[in-house]
Amino acid sequence: MIDLIASRITALSTPAPNRLQKLLQVLLRGERPYMLYIAFVVLLIVFSLSSPWFLSVDNFMNIGRQTTLVSIVAVGMTFIIIARQIDLSVASTLALSGMAAALAMANVHNHWIVGAVAGLGTGALVGLLNGILTTQLAIPSFLVTLGTLSMARGLAMMVTNTKPVIITNETYFAIFGEGSFLGVPAPIAWTLASTIVGILLLHYNIFGRRIYAVGGNPTAALYSGIRTRQVTTLAFVLTGMLAGLAALVLSARSHAARPDVVQGMELDVIASVILGGCSLFGGRGFILGTLLGSLIIGTLNNGLVLLGVSSPMQLVIKGAIIIAAVAFTKR
Amino acid sequence: MFRPQPNAEAAAIRPTEPLVRVEGVTKNFGGVRALRGVSLEVRPGEVHALLGENGAGKSTLIKILSGVHACDSGTIEIAGQPVAFDGPAKSRAAGIAVVYQDLSLVESLSVAANMMLGREPLTRFGFLRKQKLMAEAGAFLKRHGIQLDPRAIVGSLPFAYRQMTEISKALMGDARVLILDEPTSSLTSDEVQVLFDAIARVTSRGVGVIYVTHRLDEVFQISQRVTVLRDGANVGTFVTPETDMKRLVAAIVGPGHADQTATPEPVASAVLAGKPAPAISLFRVSNDRLSGVDLTVSKGEIHGLAGLIGSGRTEILETIFGLRRVESGEIAVDGQPQPLRTPTEAIEQGIALVPEDRHVQGLILEHSIERNVALARLRRFARWGWMQQGAAAKDAATVIRKLAVKAPGPSSLVKTLSGGNQQKVVFAKWSNPPPRVLLLDEPTVGVDVGAREEIYSVIRNAAGAGAGVLVVSSDLAELLLLCDRISLVVEGRIVTTLSRGAIANAEELHHLLQLTQAEDQRPPYELSA
Repeated sequence: MIDLIASRITALSTPAPNRLQKLLQVLLRGERPYMLYIAFVVLLIVFSLSSPWFLSVDNFMNIGRQTTLVSIVAVGMTFIIIARQIDLSVASTLALSGMAAALAMANVHNHWIVGAVAGLGTGALVGLLNGILTTQLAIPSFLVTLGTLSMARGLAMMVTNTKPVIITNETYFAIFGEGSFLGVPAPIAWTLASTIVGILLLHYNIFGRRIYAVGGNPTAALYSGIRTRQVTTLAFVLTGMLAGLAALVLSARSHAARPDVVQGMELDVIASVILGGCSLFGGRGFILGTLLGSLIIGTLNNGLVLLGVSSPMQLVIKGAIIIAAVAFTKR
Repeated sequence: MFRPQPNAEAAAIRPTEPLVRVEGVTKNFGGVRALRGVSLEVRPGEVHALLGENGAGKSTLIKILSGVHACDSGTIEIAGQPVAFDGPAKSRAAGIAVVYQDLSLVESLSVAANMMLGREPLTRFGFLRKQKLMAEAGAFLKRHGIQLDPRAIVGSLPFAYRQMTEISKALMGDARVLILDEPTSSLTSDEVQVLFDAIARVTSRGVGVIYVTHRLDEVFQISQRVTVLRDGANVGTFVTPETDMKRLVAAIVGPGHADQTATPEPVASAVLAGKPAPAISLFRVSNDRLSGVDLTVSKGEIHGLAGLIGSGRTEILETIFGLRRVESGEIAVDGQPQPLRTPTEAIEQGIALVPEDRHVQGLILEHSIERNVALARLRRFARWGWMQQGAAAKDAATVIRKLAVKAPGPSSLVKTLSGGNQQKVVFAKWSNPPPRVLLLDEPTVGVDVGAREEIYSVIRNAAGAGAGVLVVSSDLAELLLLCDRISLVVEGRIVTTLSRGAIANAEELHHLLQLTQAEDQRPPYELSA
């Protein structure tokens, strides 16, 4: 009798967990990021114990908002790192894209679509340049993007002689910064949207399969008929566009575009991706890990501020964490 | 003749006493019993062949002897002294040296520098004494009669000479036992001879050699005794001159498999007798490595390319597959001229390549069988760019069954499979849809006897289904076994094409290659420099 009931129960309860398990399997790419969960929980506990301000809804919303820029760009960086490349230029690309969006609205036509197209387009163009230089001239992307990091920042400063550009479009503010979508604040909604698009592209699209193949073994990918240069270039374009999206979010929040914003953000972005379980040797990683990685970085930034750690010391700690994360994930 | 060096340890060994004695060694990995009581004895000056299918325990035994793994039980004695290795350093200190398939040389350094890596002669201030290094290495090579220029940069040498560098390096470290793991798998027959000469010189000085191979003919050429392993246990040790090929194959594959080595007729003889339609034709194709290649492979034909390494055999395949530019001339698929500028275009035309190095070119080792099998035809499993995960998984399961890949399932990582099964996965990439042209570069390198026969039948089936098959192989017996016609490649040209019936045996083909080679003045390795 009891056996019968038990079998009924399992019979009823299996299909749902199976589907859930399958989804998790795809999203986690067979990885079990226990280290990640543990690190996150340890951070939360340490900061809750040491600061009365940390454990509050307001503060978590704060962390979410502060993390958006990193989370959005890190989605693109996940594709790049899985494909065995690196993009150091993302912060500069973000600054240049923001300037392009603000200038387009100020000088061409004051409509949010004009700003969005200019911002995303500029990001995509820098990404295209990174991709073409890396794949066609066979220069390591580390050096190419180190160069474009400098170039994009310089251009962003040149266009207005380092002066910020004011934005006056209310719709633009609402869509990218201050409004909300289904009760979710716009910046967080854009983060979720980027993450979902990233998951679909990486785990369910043919493009994702190609990215994994190019990163897992570029020669074997080429010998299997994959256009490895095209795939790599597309990853750079995607990352550039996401840097452009982050620029829209940032400029809508501050009602202006400034050429000197987010200097050094590439550190946080790369750290998020590596913490999230991507292998720097290519071919391994998943988007959800990256999101969690960026939340850890965000929590860390926030907690260190609340603890009164000086910002130079914060840099030291973050650098050390990146090295530790790579040491743990290296195969 | 070589006078034994005044080496106190070497002198202490009496010739009858075994150099190495392995007794009842067992090793478990988790629940898998890799070795269940293996014994092996190597005498001074002996070449002792070690045979067995992949997974029989050869590699595990080698790893135990080289100190990579510790054995669970059993004893190892070196020159009568029981030893326990807790690391590779201990094993090396006891005089055991392993030359692995993937060599561990620094390609940018000279032969001499590689031989003395880590024990270079230095001045008092820690600077390298280059002259002394060269002189010492040169004298050592001369004493052993090894034909190597100590000044040559390793990266510029043909494979056999790199291997000899590796062997010299091991001997210079006073190795008394040399373990060679499939040393001839990527050598041409000339290079094999060079290696065998070197082995003979080394053993004449009392060094014992454990020779792991998949090629039975080599066992009869150089070994004095053979030990066969199967499923982690000894099948037996034979005195080589007293046994024969048939008995060894039976010992390796075990009961019930003996018929597999029977030689069927090449399939397409009948096809060729009629009027064959060309699957692929090359008309005066030239580029940086080829000069005017004319070649036609008919539908259903298996066509072999024989030649030395660097002769352009591989480059012919690469050019057809779109990996090398066609500078002049024309390639026609199914009678239609095609540009074939990239592998993508070649694959669209139904051309498939099983490349020479499956680890580098054929597979993504860290990924699953399913992902690897789907890689070359992702579009077939995608609708509007979105992967139909179920279809890809089902297809992988089907080909795994069809090609009898031994693996727990489609999601097993390719790196966990044996060499033969990995090669089957490479074939599986191209099995559906059936290719119109199948290009094979050394299709059975590092594949054990059983899987080799299975791969031969996959190749014959592909030809039977109408594909034109073009095979490059250094194993001349393999070419004779498979091919309807064989073309000889010298310096990027096809010098002659012979039908299978015109060649009596592998020796004759070997002589033909020698003859055509002799007509060209330049030695082969200057080509690749």
